[in-house]
Amino acid sequence: MDPLRSYLGRLLLEDITPVVMVLTTPLAEAACRRSGLSFVDMLSPFSLFKKIDVPVRTASDQPYRLQMFKIRMVYASDIHKQDHEVADERIKLVVSEANEKTLPDLLADPPQLEDVVNKPEAELCPLWTKRFNRELIRTLSFSDHETFDHPVACLLVVSSKDKEPISKFADLFNTNQLPSLLNEGIMDPQILKHYLVLHDQQDGPQEIAVNILAEMRSTLGLNDCKLLCINSSAQAHGSDADNSWLPYKAHGLHNHEGACFLNTDDLNEIKDFMQDFASNHIIPYMEQKIRVLNQQVATTRKGFRNQIKNLWWRKRDDVPEAANGPMYTFTSIESQIRVLGDYAFMLRDYELALSNYRLLSTDYKLDKAWKRFAGVQEMSGLCYFMLDQSRKDAEYCMENAFSTYLRIGSSGQRNATRCGLWWAEMLTTRGQHREASSVYFRISNEEPSLHSAVLLEQAACCYLLSSPRMLRKYGFHLILAGNSYYLSDQKQHAVRAYRNALFVYKQNPWSYINNHVHYNVGRWYGVLGIFDVAIKHLLEVVACSHQSLTTQSMFLNDFFHFVQSTGKKFDVYKLQLPVFNMSSLRVVHEDHRTYASNADVDVSESIWQELEEEMIPSSSVVRTNWLDTQPKSSPFKNNKASVCVAGEAVKLNVEVKNPLQISVNVSGISLICQLSTTMDASSAEKGTLSAATEEDIATTKPSILTFKSDENNFTVSSLDIVLGGGETKRIQLEVTPKVIGILKLVGIRWTLSDSVVGYQYFEVSTQKKTKKGKRGAHRSLNNILIVIKALPKLTGYIDCLPTKAFTGDLQLLTLNLRNQSEHAVKNVKMKISHPRFVIPGGSSDLDLEFPQCLRKHVQSDSNVVSSKSTKEKFKGFLFAFPQDIKIQGGATFSWPIWFHAATPGNLSLYLSLYYEMESTTDIPYRTLRTHYNVEVLPSLDVSFAVSMCSSRLQEYIVRMDIMNRTLSESFALHQLSCVGTKWAVSTLPSCDSISLVETIPANQSVSCFFKIKDIGTNSCAEAADGSCGSDMVLSPGGSTDVFHISQSPIADFHYQERYHQGKLAKGPSSLLDFILIAKAVAANSSKSEQLLSHHTCQVALSQNPIWWLMEGPRTITHDFSKSCCEANIQLVIHNSSEHNISLGVVTSDGTLEKNQTIPSHESASGPGGWYDVSLENDVKAITSMKGTHPQKQSSESISPFVWCSLSSAQVDLKPNSSAKIPLKVCIFAPGTYNFSNYELHWKVHPSEAGQVDDNGRSGVGQGYPFYVTVLQGAR
Amino acid sequence: MASTACFVIVSKNDIPIYDAEVGSAPKKEDQAYQHQFILHAALDVVQDLAWTTNAMSLKSVDRFNELVVSVYVTAGHTRFMLLHDTRTEDGIKSFFQEVHELYIKIFLNPLYLPGSRITSSHFDTKVRALARKYL
Repeated sequence: MDPLRSYLGRLLLEDITPVVMVLTTPLAEAACRRSGLSFVDMLSPFSLFKKIDVPVRTASDQPYRLQMFKIRMVYASDIHKQDHEVADERIKLVVSEANEKTLPDLLADPPQLEDVVNKPEAELCPLWTKRFNRELIRTLSFSDHETFDHPVACLLVVSSKDKEPISKFADLFNTNQLPSLLNEGIMDPQILKHYLVLHDQQDGPQEIAVNILAEMRSTLGLNDCKLLCINSSAQAHGSDADNSWLPYKAHGLHNHEGACFLNTDDLNEIKDFMQDFASNHIIPYMEQKIRVLNQQVATTRKGFRNQIKNLWWRKRDDVPEAANGPMYTFTSIESQIRVLGDYAFMLRDYELALSNYRLLSTDYKLDKAWKRFAGVQEMSGLCYFMLDQSRKDAEYCMENAFSTYLRIGSSGQRNATRCGLWWAEMLTTRGQHREASSVYFRISNEEPSLHSAVLLEQAACCYLLSSPRMLRKYGFHLILAGNSYYLSDQKQHAVRAYRNALFVYKQNPWSYINNHVHYNVGRWYGVLGIFDVAIKHLLEVVACSHQSLTTQSMFLNDFFHFVQSTGKKFDVYKLQLPVFNMSSLRVVHEDHRTYASNADVDVSESIWQELEEEMIPSSSVVRTNWLDTQPKSSPFKNNKASVCVAGEAVKLNVEVKNPLQISVNVSGISLICQLSTTMDASSAEKGTLSAATEEDIATTKPSILTFKSDENNFTVSSLDIVLGGGETKRIQLEVTPKVIGILKLVGIRWTLSDSVVGYQYFEVSTQKKTKKGKRGAHRSLNNILIVIKALPKLTGYIDCLPTKAFTGDLQLLTLNLRNQSEHAVKNVKMKISHPRFVIPGGSSDLDLEFPQCLRKHVQSDSNVVSSKSTKEKFKGFLFAFPQDIKIQGGATFSWPIWFHAATPGNLSLYLSLYYEMESTTDIPYRTLRTHYNVEVLPSLDVSFAVSMCSSRLQEYIVRMDIMNRTLSESFALHQLSCVGTKWAVSTLPSCDSISLVETIPANQSVSCFFKIKDIGTNSCAEAADGSCGSDMVLSPGGSTDVFHISQSPIADFHYQERYHQGKLAKGPSSLLDFILIAKAVAANSSKSEQLLSHHTCQVALSQNPIWWLMEGPRTITHDFSKSCCEANIQLVIHNSSEHNISLGVVTSDGTLEKNQTIPSHESASGPGGWYDVSLENDVKAITSMKGTHPQKQSSESISPFVWCSLSSAQVDLKPNSSAKIPLKVCIFAPGTYNFSNYELHWKVHPSEAGQVDDNGRSGVGQGYPFYVTVLQGAR
Repeated sequence: MASTACFVIVSKNDIPIYDAEVGSAPKKEDQAYQHQFILHAALDVVQDLAWTTNAMSLKSVDRFNELVVSVYVTAGHTRFMLLHDTRTEDGIKSFFQEVHELYIKIFLNPLYLPGSRITSSHFDTKVRALARKYL
């Protein structure tokens, strides 16, 4: 690129031009004023010659032609160093002027990347920045270390009305009034003088002026005097005058006062005068001066001799170290070289200029005149640029100048800025935008905030222009610029800068940057009074969770401040405060399924379905294949839509989170709904489709008003909450449709701190989502509901169902139902998931007093519980209320419920209530689902051990081990019952003091022994007198306090227990059930009596079908001296089974080798009365009790007795008959003997009628210990 | 230890996945965003510079007044950026290398999704310890 055509080139051609000092008399000024202009203003449009085309010859002999030329006309009074404050004011004006233009821009959308990229290069940076740059450079005009601002010529103007115009000229050039530059000897006062007589045509004829001119010519010189006539136009606003001025308006000529008496002739005259002045006077003068100075420099400085001399001379001189270096007068050779250089520069002989500048720079360097040195460096840099030579040198010079200016401190600061501006322009011209921007950035640091802001903005633009584009740098520098603008109170510019940077930081994951940008833009917009945009930006930062508490509250306060400033409630789509977790969204609607409480809704649907399986009627429409998924007869054409009932609330659960650390006040949270009364499913379908574009609608126009709650069709609940810092709450919103139709849940709206209304629409689940899988389908939000006609609805709960209970706890509770509607319901059924724990009572139980109702008032002879139970009863208890029960509208209904805490652990109890509508409705039936959680704590562990009584027939010894598992509770034993009429339980005859163990304190265990007797087969006399029944009272209260175990509910619960425990124990048939009833010993008597019933079922008895017993003398006195003793004993055998049994007794002499194997044999033969193994660890005695009969007789090799009379006897026994087998034992020595080494082998011969299980078909019984003491008798 | 030091790990998508103020100077609220701005802007320079060299450590790539940005680019184009005000080239280099090792360990975690934010507190403590050691 041609440097002369570049911006910098044109800038230099216009700015570094010869200055003409203008001196006018007041009368001459007044003549110009008449046209509303000053004299300089009047001439300045004509001081730029675009095609002057004059030949110029400077130092070299070769002339060249100048095309463009400009002279600067300046009043003498303006030729002085600029006052900083005034200059800054002027610059500020430039910025503020631009300020007003930016305002409409700010209301538009911020620019996007494409906008910025597509902009022409020149428009990237605001145009006024160029003006600003020039103004900034102009603040340095007329400095004393540079000469290009020094006047080249002087124009003295006198009016024709002035008296004694010749002497006026002398007065004008009076040294007192001349600029200090001339007076102080910095520049040569002998400059080119040009004299002008200004004649106002309206003041009179031209003759006076012509006379004056003639006089002037004679005294001042022929060529240097001119006459200029103005104001020839007779009246103001000549039509041609306006037109003639037009081309010059662009040059800053603004005729404010309106009156203009200049006509075309005047303008042409001015133009001619200026042309003549420039080409015939100024340029020749400069040429001549250059030649003279060049000659001078050549003689004093050029050549080897002069250089040596110069060096030597300078060295000798002790140069004082001063900031400005030594004072150079216009006569000094340095000043002359500088003038030579500058003149050459102005006449565009850059080679000459450069050589002089280079010459001078070494001098100044040696003199340590740094400011001058920097100035010269700067100029040589520009020369290199204009010559388009050696870029490196140009840059080196500029950098050198720049750093030198900076080094000399504050006086050089602005010079550094100017140098930097030129340098940056130079780099931009050459396309080195990155370097240029860094230069801008460097100079911005040296300037006050306003200047630095503009400079930073230019730096930012450079980054955008650089290749590749550096957008982040662009953004950053714009932010810096914006900040500086803000500091210098230029808010509009600040906003503009930030706005331009917005696209860089759009969707930025750098959180702090994002917050800073949006917060500041928002705040400043707010300050400017553009609240809507302000709020839009502040919305981006209100939900910043990562900021500190103070920052968060600052953001929030500003936000609310601006919102309040708008004076109205503000609607915000997708307000981020608080955050609604849309994935947690759940719509709870009740069609035929109703729920007692909110917690019940969360229970998985499959649990309910399984529970209700048998209760609800199966779907009437049978789907033949998978295509026929939508039965045509169904009133709900839309398969996807759910059903809700008019008048019943549809609930919506959602999680709300406060992301801030500050607590926020959220009020009026409610649903946005639509209810269309046309019962048309297709319209609802359409609604779904249009919902996809809903977000777009919402963003374009806040359509919230269209969703105002329609009081006629539905009501929505409103919720106010305060969310603490970081808190998450689960809220429930409700909408109650009133009429039938299609209800659509559109979104949520809420009010934040009473000022901002946020609203958010639900993302509608599309078809795609549901296709993803079952899970997706399950989670998809069902937001379209078909509202059907009002239906009866039952609500209900179980009164005071305990959440914690001890095992065995038995309570009577009430199920309360309430029909809230007007219509009656009928055919009520109930299903309970755990009938082991909860059993519905009978209608008569309701007014019973618990636990007295369980007491046995009349001695019942039957402990048999009716065996009506069926298998279904145990798995999910279906209970049908009596058919005649109808719950009328508005009525309440109670039903007794028995609760029994069967096993310890956590229990989820599900209850489903089925009912049908009295009248025909859309839905024929409904269910009420209730769910309870009960924690059952362990209380008493009861286990039983039964072993055959060896001393009596038909009797068993029962060992009951009770362990109190609680930590603090004590329990009193009340009653032990065995179920069935077959068995009677009684205390052991030897120990009647069972009442000693009536209470069991915490963590203690107790073992008791009882006797049970089979009274079913052998109706003994004891049973009749009642002393031995199936119940045994353990408490001292006596037999009056016995609970009736064969009645509901204990009997019912017992069946459940038997069913559940039966699964565990796989014993043979002959089993025994025990029920232990205990009472909690209440710490304070106020508590109602707590009853615990423990059911131990299917305790296995010894399953032998036969009983046998040794009978015989226990003590025998015999004289062994005569013979061996013979003891006659008999074995009584009883067949208790219903079959014939053949039986053999085998006796064996000596020690049985079988002894060791007996225990294992016994344990293998079946449960020996134990089934609860868990207690074995606790009760150590159990193991030692086992197998008491094998006597350790191994020490004796020979048995001291022998069986005689028979070694094997065979007996056949009829059912329920006894036989006696006599046995004889021969004893050889006195002592005590255990006649237990015999075995009974039996075989059952089953009759046709009954079946005997395999286990009891045949067996072997070991003999019981039978001790006989034989004494040596007296002779 | 440097009085100001801000360490950021930037994923290849230009998202900061870890940041820590590791300088000894007390943390100021208003500096947090300034540091982010400088580091964010320096990404432009890194973008150019990263392809001009084979070395992972790019040394100081950018400066803002007295603050210098040093960058280390991993093979996966994850950038470790340190904004600091003291010049201890060796220390910074060692710091980066050790952090790289830590980062690889994080990367090896099968539960860590590459490019997601590093939330491991162990990593955080280790990085801060390294900063105390080297910077």
